[in-house]
Amino acid sequence: MPPGSAGTIGPVTRARVWGYGSPVTLSIDRLHKRFGDVVALDGLAFDVPGGQVFGFLGANGAGKTTTMRIVLGVLEADSGTVTWRGADSRTLPRATWGYLPEERGLYPRMRVIDQLIYFAELYGIPPDRARREAMHWLARFRVPDLAERRADELSKGNQQKIQLIAAVLHDPEVLLMDEPFTGLDPVNVAILREAFLELREQGKTLIFSTHQMETVEALCESIAIVDRGRVVVGGSLREIRRAAGRRLLHISVEGDHRLPWLAAVEGARILRAGVGRTEVELDEGVEPDAVLAAAIANGASVTHFEIDEVSLEQIFIDHVGRPADDDEHFAVGDVPPLDGDEVAAAAAVRRSAVAGDEPVA
Amino acid sequence: MPNVGFIARREYAALVRGRLFFVSTLVLAGLAMFVAVLPVAAKLIDRGSTTTVAVVSTDPELSRQTRRVLTSMLNSSGSDFDLIAASDEQTALAQVADRELDAAVIASRRPDGQLAFSFHLGETMGQQQTGTLSLGVFGVAVLDYAAHNPVSGFQQPTIDIFKSVGGSDGERPFDASTFASRLIVGAVFGFLIFITIVIYGMWVAQGVVAEKASRVMELLVSAASTRQLVIGKTLGIGLAGATQTTIVLVPALLVLAGEEAIARLVLGQGVGIAASVSSLSPGLLLAFALFYVLGFALYSLVYAAAGSLVSRPEDLQIIALPLSIVAIAGYGMGLLALTGGITGFIRLASYVPFWSPFVMLTRLSVGRVEPWELALSVALLVATIGVVGVVAIRIYGAGVLLYGQRPGLRAYVSAARGR
Repeated sequence: MPPGSAGTIGPVTRARVWGYGSPVTLSIDRLHKRFGDVVALDGLAFDVPGGQVFGFLGANGAGKTTTMRIVLGVLEADSGTVTWRGADSRTLPRATWGYLPEERGLYPRMRVIDQLIYFAELYGIPPDRARREAMHWLARFRVPDLAERRADELSKGNQQKIQLIAAVLHDPEVLLMDEPFTGLDPVNVAILREAFLELREQGKTLIFSTHQMETVEALCESIAIVDRGRVVVGGSLREIRRAAGRRLLHISVEGDHRLPWLAAVEGARILRAGVGRTEVELDEGVEPDAVLAAAIANGASVTHFEIDEVSLEQIFIDHVGRPADDDEHFAVGDVPPLDGDEVAAAAAVRRSAVAGDEPVA
Repeated sequence: MPNVGFIARREYAALVRGRLFFVSTLVLAGLAMFVAVLPVAAKLIDRGSTTTVAVVSTDPELSRQTRRVLTSMLNSSGSDFDLIAASDEQTALAQVADRELDAAVIASRRPDGQLAFSFHLGETMGQQQTGTLSLGVFGVAVLDYAAHNPVSGFQQPTIDIFKSVGGSDGERPFDASTFASRLIVGAVFGFLIFITIVIYGMWVAQGVVAEKASRVMELLVSAASTRQLVIGKTLGIGLAGATQTTIVLVPALLVLAGEEAIARLVLGQGVGIAASVSSLSPGLLLAFALFYVLGFALYSLVYAAAGSLVSRPEDLQIIALPLSIVAIAGYGMGLLALTGGITGFIRLASYVPFWSPFVMLTRLSVGRVEPWELALSVALLVATIGVVGVVAIRIYGAGVLLYGQRPGLRAYVSAARGR
């Protein structure tokens, strides 16, 4: 068993965790970036397996957008490297990437079809092919009638669709999307999810940041959680859950719903109390049967008993210390810099991980 | 770099198809046409109007002689001056004050025989007429002296003024009317370069701010390099500006070129009008085109960087003001060169890159420019565009993705140094 994999997966602020099951294609290695006194990235490192949907999670100000901009070559890191299939990202053509920024924006007075062709041309796509592809994607998003409309005549949701089309029209290998689901209604979220899966089927690598944990759980095979410019946990979602080492129980009983008898079960505690249903967290090694046995022994009438994995949101809170939608800004001094040993350790972890080892803490 | 072409094409189309461009072109073209027909229109309006100057003197011979000489001199350039005799000084002065007379010249002889003249001028008498009056009364004095001290063969001299302009080698000096035409050409060119830089330069800055404000910048910087974006935008807007200048200028120039013919048609034969653009040589046109392009390139690069520093259009005026002041100073020096002669300072200013588009062009119009001076001025301008371009693109790259917060000067110095 690799070191650190026996217990919970965190804290892993100086290391990355692997076990994706797919070859690593995008490698982000110890990125540092400061803006004046603000440390945006502090040795951030993770790998993204090719052909997957990858979730990039973190609260506001954690460093997600800065990382994406460095990958795109829009920003330059103070130190660290980004490689795609072994090649330095700065040597790659811009068309390798498709980008959906968090801040949506189009030319307000320009026709939708004209802007889509314009952006495709900048990526080297001939206008006739760009027009064809644009019409295909407009139809795919069920908005073919928007082609001749001006951007300032569109709803926010539709503008977002047009921006996503602008990001995929040149057929990039990697799609980087900053909060792609924000501001979309449930119908459009479903359409976007379908499109993500379709792009993955085509072999594209999709990386997106979000606060919405349920979307990540539904779409992503691998994730990285970033906090204060560092990856605190990363790897395949299944492995991360397993490494969390805990399980959840959802219990409903008749009578005293405060479950006073639970105190007798060592390693079990109420996570969220509820009148109808109570969420109980079990430490690693504690069997759910022990809880059920304690309930029966104390005469409780159990009406519902469900064993569940720990939620991604709980894993996020475990590692970051607050929910993903908590805004936080930080300045230099809040985050202790990595010393030389820590940097060396992170590099060693990365080397072993690339060699295909199990997730480590 | 095909992206530069795509970006330039989009910028050009977005501007030229806009309502603002259409309206401003219409207004400017109307204005230029108005200016072009102004000399003929002024003649037409002034036709039939006579400027009346009273000569007041108790000496009938002095009054007659003064009127004869002044009539001859004031009317020599085709104007219509009527010199009348008046006997009462107070009445004449009151008539000048009441605008019944344009001027009164009081002529008297002192006991020692010296002639004394005083001019009382109304608002219609300009500096040129005053100068002619002064010269005229000097002639009266000379004739008066000759009458009292008979000499044979005295003739009033003729006066011609030639200005030495253009290149130094074997170029013929220009006569007064050509020089006047060159003054007009220099003023028009200086003005055109000034409005090109200020108006179209601001369009560049506004375009950058609009892309930031609409957040489309995020998509742009991931699709094209900042160098392509800056050069493409500058090129596209510069071409739109050149299109507008051409539309505005060509009809006006055609009118000015046919000014004499139009004057003859409207005012009849014999009414002369000095051609405003007769001195417009291919060399001057080429110099104008060169300084127009280089001047716009230099300023628009700085405007692009300035635009990247702000997030809201309303903040742009504040940050663009210093640059506008530099341009205004250059334009002011150009005007100074037109009216005040080519001083050592003006000569120096014509080498300074941010001013040379105005000042060197003015010097070329009305002064003497050595070939090495022109070469030095252009070389310094081109070199500065190169340096400013690198710095402006770096600042643009650092500025376009910053919203809300305004980075300190240190951050921009660092960006400009490429760190």
